[in-house]
Amino acid sequence: MKGKQFAVIGLGTFGYNVALEFANKGIQVLAIDVNTEIVDRISQFVTQALVVDATDEKAMLEAGVADCDSVVISIGESIETSILATLIVKELGVKDVIVKSASAWHSKVAAKLGASTVVYPELEMSKKFVENIVTPNILEQIKLSKDYNLAEIVAPKYVWGKTIKDSNIRNNYGINIIAIRKHVPIINDDGQSDIKEEINMVPGPSDEINQNDVLVVIGSEESLAKIKKDKE
Amino acid sequence: MITENLKTNASLEASHIELGKFYFLNDKYDEAVAEFKKAIEINPSNAEAYYNIGLIKESSNLICEAKEMYQKAVNINSEYKIAKDRLAKLIGVEIKD
Repeated sequence: MKGKQFAVIGLGTFGYNVALEFANKGIQVLAIDVNTEIVDRISQFVTQALVVDATDEKAMLEAGVADCDSVVISIGESIETSILATLIVKELGVKDVIVKSASAWHSKVAAKLGASTVVYPELEMSKKFVENIVTPNILEQIKLSKDYNLAEIVAPKYVWGKTIKDSNIRNNYGINIIAIRKHVPIINDDGQSDIKEEINMVPGPSDEINQNDVLVVIGSEESLAKIKKDKE
Repeated sequence: MITENLKTNASLEASHIELGKFYFLNDKYDEAVAEFKKAIEINPSNAEAYYNIGLIKESSNLICEAKEMYQKAVNINSEYKIAKDRLAKLIGVEIKD
């Protein structure tokens, strides 16, 4: 990652924070927007901040966009501008182009233009949001492949006090426990009660599962749905 | 007489908080919550009691209830930093001092 240079075009809420995160990680980042005020605001944090019209190929070339290894295009206000900027960045020869999409059609067009990654934060967030409400015992879920997910589930009552081996989770559900997370009560340096998180990253067959433990598991969507249903 | 009663109540309230913390540290969550609730009965503005119930709810993965308790603690004492931090963490926002 060292020495890699990124550009972020479009400094709305998403783009601004992406550029800041790159800068926080010590990555060289060129931040571009048409709004002078936003560019001024971010200039103290990033390697370089420029006021450039992303639809002006010559200006983009002069700004040094072609020298970047990866370019994030996060122009949310105008899909047309975003598409044009994507086309120009590809024409400039940038291989890795990441486009923040504003709609399903925007995503399709960006992919056709050669974007290597298309992110649609609103859609992803809304799916996650609904998932969290509908399945509160599944705290977090990440898609690993088409059929398999990594999920954090609250330990079901019937496994409390049992070892992983005796819980039979693997046999009954086809789910593998890869970590166990728990909150441990503590008294902090200020003498106040607090909680700290402890994670058993390599749980063995003889490790016990307790009430309030959170199990980090890998399983098929079907298996996770079954364990969720059984818990209810 | 009134002063004496107040002293007794304050001392009783503090005792329930301490006992609640003791139970909490020993993983006896139900007993801990009962003690914190007794402190709240004596003094409904005891922010520490709400904060501690919040910790127990969070440890029990009852996130909505934990948020509600932290929020009550912060409503009572807006300078309660540790409660504000835990609430912010659960809501998903970052607080920078």
